Amino acid sequence: MKHEDARNLLHAYVDGELDAATALELEAALAADPMLRDAHERLRAMSAAIREKGDYHAAPAALGRRIAASLPRPEAPMPTRRWWIPAGAFAVAALLAVGLAFLNASEMADEVFASHARTVLGGQMMQVASSDQHTVKPWLSARLPYSPPVADFAAEGFPLLGARLDYVQKRPVAVLVYGRRKHTIEAFVWPGEARARELARDGLNLRSFSRGGMTWWLVSDVSAAELDELARRLGGA
Amino acid sequence: MDAAYNLARWLTRNDHDAQDVVQEAMVRAFRFSEGLRGEARPWLLAIVRHACFTWLKSNRPGDLASLEDAGFEPAADADGPEALAARELDRRLLNEAISALPPHFREVLVLRELEDLSYKDIARIIDAPIGTVMSRLARARRLLADSMRVITRAARPKVHE
Repeated sequence: MKHEDARNLLHAYVDGELDAATALELEAALAADPMLRDAHERLRAMSAAIREKGDYHAAPAALGRRIAASLPRPEAPMPTRRWWIPAGAFAVAALLAVGLAFLNASEMADEVFASHARTVLGGQMMQVASSDQHTVKPWLSARLPYSPPVADFAAEGFPLLGARLDYVQKRPVAVLVYGRRKHTIEAFVWPGEARARELARDGLNLRSFSRGGMTWWLVSDVSAAELDELARRLGGA
Repeated sequence: MDAAYNLARWLTRNDHDAQDVVQEAMVRAFRFSEGLRGEARPWLLAIVRHACFTWLKSNRPGDLASLEDAGFEPAADADGPEALAARELDRRLLNEAISALPPHFREVLVLRELEDLSYKDIARIIDAPIGTVMSRLARARRLLADSMRVITRAARPKVHE
């Protein structure tokens, strides 16, 4: 091994990043080259000095509280350094699993209203137009991290027209589109629990409920009674 | 969390901005948590690091200019005998010397020596190949040795002349 090559490898050696074969080669070079040994010694001293004397700035306690307060889940505890890796992974996994359950309900209602308004005003209401649940469900499942329940209620006066994906609270969600006479009802569905809500705004009605681990938001210009009827069919009492 | 703040504190070089940058990065991290692949720590630090450089770009553009600056090429024999003095070197002077390094060198040194992260994790955080991590780290240490030598000479001019 040439002196210059060895010099360049010293850093990786000191950092424990050399593979075993190269490390052995370098150790042989170290044994044979006093200048290389000096360089190695200096490098180790430098690394040790930084580790020993370099300032480690631990996060101020107030910062943890500030961040906790600004996250969408205020009750989430801020992990401390030691258990940060598992805790961070856990928090992220929990967020993924629980989905939108903890997010602000009125913000969500705003987004559902806005999304419905956009599609009614000329956006594309359906990306998959089919009354066949065996077509709609796989289409959605292939594009989402969950598999939404899909059923047709044509016999009850709520034919399934199709579905699309939408974006609510920065996450993709399924939107099932049902017909009701000349009207349409959009059913947003994603995993999670939420308490039941009823809202009316600008001639639109909105219902939300949870059933079987899924949260539903129905929005339409049909009457509140008709919306409730579809909610019952979907499983919301 | 401490790792995030430590990196931001070293890159912004002040407490107030480090806190702001970390808060912003953490909120963004939670919002885009579906981007998480593999371990949480390098992923999070990559977001914090990105936020720091965005902050540097708008608030300390002068700090960033120095990466391309050929003037930062260390002297060939930078890790000469005086570098050994790092061991006895004053804590404050050592930290000042690290703090004076250009941010691209400062960050690899902080991630390697203070966070004890592997080259692979550092590569992920700074979004560069492992070879770049290796050469940046080598240059960072040479630059540091260089400035140590200057400091040591300045502190003890008579001993050396």
